[in-house]
Parts: sequence; structure tokens; C-alpha cells
Amino acid sequence: MVSPTRSGAPPHARSRSHGLVRILPLVPAIAMLAVFMLGPVIWSFYGSFTNTALTGPNALHPRLVGLDNYSNLISDPNFPKSVWLTVVFVFMSAIVGQNVLGLFVASMLRRANPAVRAVVGTLIVAAWIMPEIVAAFAAYAFFSDGGTFSQLSAWVGLHSPNMLYDHPMAAVVIANIWRGTAFSMMVYTAALDDVPPDVIEAAEVDGASGFQRLVRITLPMIRRSISTNFMLTTLQTLSVFTLIWVMTSGGPGTDSSTLPVLAYQQAFKFSKIGYGTAIATVMLLVGAVFSIIYIRMLKPEVD
Amino acid sequence: MRRRDLFKASAGLAALGVAGCGSSNNSTAASSSGGVASPSSVTPGTIKVAYQKFGNFTQMDTMFTNVKQDFEAKFAGSTLELIPIQAAENDYYTKLALMNRSASTAPDLMYEDTFMVRSDVAAGYLAPLDSYLNGWSDWPQFVAAAKDAGKADDGKIYGVSLGTDTRGLWYNKDLLANVGITGDWQPKDWNELLSVAKDVKAKLPGVIPLNIYSGKPNGEASVMQGFEMLLYGCPNGTLYNTDQAKWVVGSQHFKDSLDFIRTVYTQGLGPTPQQALDSNWGNVLASQYWPKNKIAMAIDGSWMPGNWLPKGTTPWAEWDKVLGWTGMPTQQGQAPGRNAMSGGWTLATGANCKNPDLAFQVMSIALSKKYALWNYINNSQIAVRKDCTSDPSYLQSNASVKFFTDLVADTHFRPATADYPNISNAIQVAMEAVMTGQQNVDTAAAAYDKAVVQQVGQQKTVQG
Amino acid sequence: MASNAGSRNPFALSAASPRSSSQKVLANVSLGVIGLAFVIPLGWLVLASFDRSASLSAKLPEPFTLHNYAAVATGTIAGIPMINSAVLSTISAVVTVVVAILAAYPLSRYRMRYNKAFLYGVLFGTCLPITAMMVPVYSLFVRLNLLDSIGGTGLFLAATQLPMAIFMTKNFMDSVPISLEEAAWVDGASAMQALRAIVVPLMRPGIAVVFIFNFVGAWGNFFVPFILLLSPEKQPASVSIFTFFGQYGAVAYGQLAAFSILYSLPVLFLYVLVQRFIGGSFLMSGAVKG
Repeated sequence: MVSPTRSGAPPHARSRSHGLVRILPLVPAIAMLAVFMLGPVIWSFYGSFTNTALTGPNALHPRLVGLDNYSNLISDPNFPKSVWLTVVFVFMSAIVGQNVLGLFVASMLRRANPAVRAVVGTLIVAAWIMPEIVAAFAAYAFFSDGGTFSQLSAWVGLHSPNMLYDHPMAAVVIANIWRGTAFSMMVYTAALDDVPPDVIEAAEVDGASGFQRLVRITLPMIRRSISTNFMLTTLQTLSVFTLIWVMTSGGPGTDSSTLPVLAYQQAFKFSKIGYGTAIATVMLLVGAVFSIIYIRMLKPEVD
Repeated sequence: MRRRDLFKASAGLAALGVAGCGSSNNSTAASSSGGVASPSSVTPGTIKVAYQKFGNFTQMDTMFTNVKQDFEAKFAGSTLELIPIQAAENDYYTKLALMNRSASTAPDLMYEDTFMVRSDVAAGYLAPLDSYLNGWSDWPQFVAAAKDAGKADDGKIYGVSLGTDTRGLWYNKDLLANVGITGDWQPKDWNELLSVAKDVKAKLPGVIPLNIYSGKPNGEASVMQGFEMLLYGCPNGTLYNTDQAKWVVGSQHFKDSLDFIRTVYTQGLGPTPQQALDSNWGNVLASQYWPKNKIAMAIDGSWMPGNWLPKGTTPWAEWDKVLGWTGMPTQQGQAPGRNAMSGGWTLATGANCKNPDLAFQVMSIALSKKYALWNYINNSQIAVRKDCTSDPSYLQSNASVKFFTDLVADTHFRPATADYPNISNAIQVAMEAVMTGQQNVDTAAAAYDKAVVQQVGQQKTVQG
Repeated sequence: MASNAGSRNPFALSAASPRSSSQKVLANVSLGVIGLAFVIPLGWLVLASFDRSASLSAKLPEPFTLHNYAAVATGTIAGIPMINSAVLSTISAVVTVVVAILAAYPLSRYRMRYNKAFLYGVLFGTCLPITAMMVPVYSLFVRLNLLDSIGGTGLFLAATQLPMAIFMTKNFMDSVPISLEEAAWVDGASAMQALRAIVVPLMRPGIAVVFIFNFVGAWGNFFVPFILLLSPEKQPASVSIFTFFGQYGAVAYGQLAAFSILYSLPVLFLYVLVQRFIGGSFLMSGAVKG
């Protein structure tokens, strides 16, 4: 891709309008983000140190409780379980599932028949474009006892377990891969398009196998897309809520209660806003950790 | 700032209340209390009423649309603004609480679950109604239990009951005839219930002997139709000691109730845990298992016929011929012999209401005999007005209504403080642990005790 | 193909070699399997929508009926909510696109000290759990008097989508060569004029991508409009779809399926339209720089 040269400021005729005018176009974005995002986030962060509730005496007189919410979190056995489930969910569905499948599909699409390309591409995108509630509901029906999954298993002679009850994490991971692969597919299609085919051809002529070509040539050349896509899919997957909530409600018990589900339950089912925002703060920390890992290790190209 | 408003509102009400109380001793009903107030004695204005409208639950919407017409015809210059909130239960509570938190969005009247009254009063959202009720000519019509439904910890009444519900034992007469149960059946105690279930299991394989809701997916249904139907049927069994305002821990009754659940689920006397741990289970039972004679007995609610009436979700014409209904027995058959739990909804007034006189006018119309009767019949509610409990159209609306109305005499209410949702959750966790065999009764009960202490603090618990 | 990532025809060079036909077969078959796997869950949705007595099992509807569609395609159930959804999503998408283009310009064209930090911070914003923030947002909206306003809700939705939009817009903008603007600057045009007259027209496919990304996100959002809108006639379809989860959990699967399909069609249709508009390639070419 041609990297644009950035010569800096517009030429001398306007050099007096440096600095402030330059960043003026950023002002609407900064204002919106500050008012609607940063403000509430700061409030939420502050709220996590209180016992604010939606009802009950703490609704009328919320008090600062210091780190109580956080210490309760740590001593609650459901919390480390939830962190672990979240990590598993993000790793399996985003990092492994969507990226690998997306890359695979992208590379297959390049070689396929145009009709197949169009049809399959649309089908994969359909799962991503449709509203999350509809996708969640379709996934719920698919995995429910007696739903399409068990019907298909019976058809090939296997008895399927009740996925939503026995393997809820597997069910939501698969559902999230189904839902989000399109994004990775599209990113990798664009990335692969920029890989010069002559380099691949040369390697082929030299006798490199498909796998070697992939690992030694293609992957390094699209390294920046991979790392950026990792970051994007991770951050998006961290906050997935509706899909899991509709499919399993975080259950059975708390077996599929990732952090967003736990935060929602505490904040709205039990009306404990303070506690719920403490969980949300932890979520942001998890996101920050992932982000820092990516930035350090993979150095995604952002500038 | 809200505290100041609360004082302002209650001061205003108190002033009016004095006038109201004063006039109730006179024969002239010139005060603003009661449904027979003249339109000229109240300041015209707009009253906002918020209620739930969800799926096929449109009764409140219909009722208030009609109330609006009556109200605006009677009180020219005033309007009733309808705010239907389209949400399932939890989201409804959330939205209502958010609206109540800000004075500018708080509704004047709201459809309030009895279960939320005490915590919402503690949050400062609701205004006491005693001054109005005491002067209201309809108030004596309300049965005592209904008057308590809207009572808060300070003894004042913050919500007026729109009807109630209760729970009992439903059974399939044909199936139970196979194990020798005929005629009017009232099981004596838990042992009899379990032994009938065992007979059914032996004689009728493929039929669920006894359904009792349990586990987290069914939420409050597991606790109210399941656990509390057992616990409150134990001698002096309770979750909460009202005199001391403390939660009971370490109770043998608690363990007995858990043990009942454990027995049913681990001995195959009920549904499989997998069937029961599905939030859709109640719907499946009502729409498939009952009409197809695949279930013999169940502890369920007085609203069940609503499914099978012609306008219900799965109409079943023969329901009242095939099914029988009776009370859930107490643990040892001790008085009063049967146990029931009741919930229900109320109409409450917001603490920030600027025109409480006018708001009460709306309330008195909505709770008048005309609309109350309509609500009881069309919303599968149990009547709480004496002039309706013997009304022929009410009694004939479905065959089970009379029984359940009488059952209200033996009913209990939940200890619905702000802590209750967490306690309820802890109960569901304990139930789920024993029904799946993951924990034995003692371990599960100990975990419950621990959760209660963590929720309310050691000082608010008492050994039971 | 008008893709601005400079994609080349992948077949031109490898079609010649004999191994490519087996590659082609492998590709077609594996894609076929994957495509089938992706469409199967939707199969139930379609079948159930035509089945008056639908259950969670996939079965051929007997009789095949349009009753579910007729039942849901009324003004109150589907009509007005979908119009509300359309208005809300359009407001959100338009605001986002405009603000993102403005913000992306300095980030793309000027090398400033905090570019990287700002972009990372902005990206980090994509993982914020909106559900946990709704309580302070509600209070904020009360104070700003923006409650129960479709415009206010659209503005908020735009703000939540802004991080991703800025990121994508900047990447699209990066691939527009700066030389044309430099020529314009020499001629005395201001930065904003150059942006409007040169950059934006060249970025049209990218803008379409950001627009649809945002529109789809707003279209499917339930929680934000549920909390911030009060009047029932302003509720979008994402909220009213929950009316099919009836009281006590009784679900009318057939009608829910029919409504789901009606609710999904507009965004699917919009996607196809936008894809045609950008010349048939996938949306992301140039959106994520690599």
C-alpha cells in the first residue's frame, strides 16, 4: 500500500494558522467523546467506590465504601471464574476462531469460482450484519434441546448433548465465531489482496509447499493486518453481552457468566450499581492488558 | 436534593391529610379524599402513569386507556398521560427505578410489584397514601391481606393492591385416578404427597409425577412456587423474622425444604434437572405437558388457567374437566393444613408527584369496582375487593377462581426488603446444587447461610 | 473494481498452472461447506417464520402459511418501530461519519505528538461496556434534557461508535494520496476546503463503509434506546422485538421468527446496496491498514 507522505502543515500562505486551527476539526469528536463517554466512565469509576443502588436505602443515601466492592469481588468465587471465562471466550472465539477461520476463508475466496465467492461471502456476512438479538436468538434455537444441532446430530446417528446446559461455553464460542468471522474475513481479504502474487509464485516455483508459503511469506507480509485485527476483534469480543445473555443467561449457574454478564446481573438484576461498575472497571483493565500485550508484542501499525 | 423534595411532598400530603381526616368525621364529603370528590375540589393538571406492557400482557394498557377516558371526562382540563414500558420484569424494574431517580422523569402513578414496595420506599420513590385511603369510601372493601400488601416498614401504606395471586397443587384427575386418588383430594402432609408421587412413578412411566420449580433459570418462580411453598409450610417456617427484622440462618426447616427438593429430583419423582433448568420450562409445561397428560401433579399458580382459556396462548377447552386443584399441604399436616404464597401488583404514587390529590382521583377510578372486576377477570388475578369476591361474573370467569380466592386466607407474603433479590438468588443457588446432586443438603444450606451473612451482615441474622 | 487498496485479479497469474484447478476445487468445496454451516442456523429462522405452530425444532411448516408475517407486519408492531430504527440509525450514522471525517483529517494529515496516544485511546474505547454506564448516562441525559428524544439518543449512539469510526476513517483517508491536496493548498485552498472538495469525494467507498458499519450497529442496539427513550411510539424495533417474549416466558416462536426476518432485511439490503456502490469488493479494503 502506498504510504502517503505527510509533508506537515499546509504551505506558508496559512502558516499563521498552525496549532489550534489544525486540531479544530478534532474538537467535535473530542467533545462528543468527552461528554458521552469519558464523563460516564469517570462517574462509573467513582461509583465503583460507593454502594449506589437503584432501589433500597442505598438509592437514597449512597455512601463511599472505599475498596469494599473490589474486595468483595475478589472474595466472591464467581469473580475469578468470570474473568477466566472471559479470557477463554475472547481467546477461543476471537483470537483463534474468527481470525483463523477468517484468514482461511479469505484465502479460499481468492481461488474460488466467482459465483461461489459471491454467495458464500454474502452468507458469512449475513450472520454479522443481522441485528445481534436476531443472531443470538437464532443461535439459541440452534443449540437448544431439540433444536437444529441435535436434529443434525441425530441425522448422522450421534446423540448430541444439551449444548446450552452441558457445554454452554462451547455453544457461545461457536455462536460468536459464526457471528463475527465476517469482519476478519473482510480484513484479511483486503490484506491478502495487497500481497504481491509474484513473490508467492516465485516460492511456488522454488518448491515451497502451501503451508510453507503461508507461514514463511504470506503471514509475515500481512503481519500488521493480523495484529490490528487481533486487537480489534479482542476489544469487540470483550464487551459481547446480548449473545451470551439470550443464549444461556450466563448459566447454568454461572458457567457462562463472562464479565459483561456478571456486571449486568449485579447492576440491574440486583440493583447494585456500585458493585456492577466495579466489575466493569475490571473489564476495562482486562481490555487494557490485552491491548498492551498487542502493542508491545505485535506493534500494530496505527500511525 | 431528593430528600428535601420528599419532605416537601410528605409535608404537603400531611397538610391535606389533616383536612381529609378532619372531614371523614363529618358527613360532608367536601374534602379531596375519596372517589366521590367533585372535579372542582382538585386542581386540574397532568398525571403520568407508568406501567408494564409486554408481549401478550396488555391488560394494564387496556385498563388505563379506559381509565383515561373516564378520568378526563370527569375532570375536564386534566389529562392522564400513559407511559407503557415495554420490558420483561427485571428490565421493567430497572427502567422504573431510573425514572424514579430523577424528579423530572418520575411518574406520578406507577404499577408497582408488592415485592418492590419496601425497597422503593426506602429509596424515597413512593409517597404514603394513608391520608387518602382513610377517607376513601372504597377502602373498607379491600381484604386485610391486600391492605398489608402495600405496607412498608414504617407501617404506612404506599401501594394499593390491584389483585393478587396464589399458588396451589394442580393435578390431573385421570392420571391420579390410576393410583387411587378420586374425589376431592387434599393431601395431608409432605409424606402423602411424596408417596403419591412414588405411586405415579411406579404405575405411569413416562409421566412426570410432580413438578416443583427449582434452580436459577426459573428465577423467582423457583423460590415462590418452589421453595417458599415448602418452607412456609413448616411449623413457623420463615425466611425472615419480622419482629426482630432479622434474616433466619441455620434453620432446620430450610434444610427440610431443600431435602424435599433433593428427594424429588434425585429419585426421579419430578422432571429431570435438564428439563427443569430451562427458563422456558413453565411455558413448555403449560402448552405441552398438561394438555397431553404427561404430568400428574405440580405446584403452580392461580393464573394457570390464563394459558388455556380461549384467549390464552394455548387454548385447551377441557382443562377444568381434566384437572383438579387443591392446596399444597403443610409439612406435617399442622394447621392450617395447607400453605400458599402470594404476590401481586399495586398502584403506587410517586414521592415527587406535584398533584397528589389528582393522582389519587385517578387511582380511585382505576381501583373502583368496575375496573377492579375487569382486571381480576381479564388478568387472571384473585380479587382483593370483598364486593368482587362474591360477584358472579368473577366467580364464573373460570372454574378454579373460587378455590384460589378462598386459599388467600392461608397465604404468606415474601419478606420483600431491598436485600430480597440477593437472598432469593442464594436460595436458587442452593436449590440448584441439591437438585443436580452437586452438593448435599447441609453443604448447600451452609452456603446459603454464608451468602445471607455476606449480604445483610452478621447483625441482621438470627439463628432459626 | 473500485477498491482503493489496489487489489489485483488473483486469477490472472495462477490460472495458468495446472495445479490451480485442484486448488480451485478445494476452494469451492471448502467454501461450500463453510457457507452451508453458516446458513444452517438461519434455516430454522426462515422455516419457523412460515409455520404457525413453530417450535424450536426445525421442521417443514405444515401448512406453509404467511400468517406470522401478517400478524407482525402491522403499523404498531413492525411499521412504526422500524421507521424509528431507521431514523435513529441514520442520525447516528450521519453524525458519526461527519465527526469522524473531521477528526480523521488532522490525524491522517498532520504528524502531531499525540496522534498515536489518541488513536490507541480511541481504539480502547471500543471495549467499553455500555450497559454498565447507562445509569450515569441516564442522569446525564436528564440534566441535558435529552431524555425521550430520538435526536439525543442518536447522538449518544454516534458517540459510542465514534472510536471505531475514527479509526477506520483515518485508515481510508491515509490511502488517499496527499499530493492532490498539496496542489490545492498551493492554489490557496484551506484545509477544510481541500477536505471537502478533494479528499471526501475520493473516499466515498470508505465513507459508505463507515456509514453502514455504524448504521448496522445502531440498528441492532437495544439497551441504549430502551433506557433513553420513554414514549412507546418512539421505541425502535430492537426494543419492540422483545414484546414477543411474552409474560412468564411464553414465546410465540413463529411470530418472533417472522419479525426477526423483517427486522433484519433492511440492513441486509443496505449492505448489498453499499457493496454494489463500492464496486463489489468487500467492505474492509482499506479500512484496517496492514
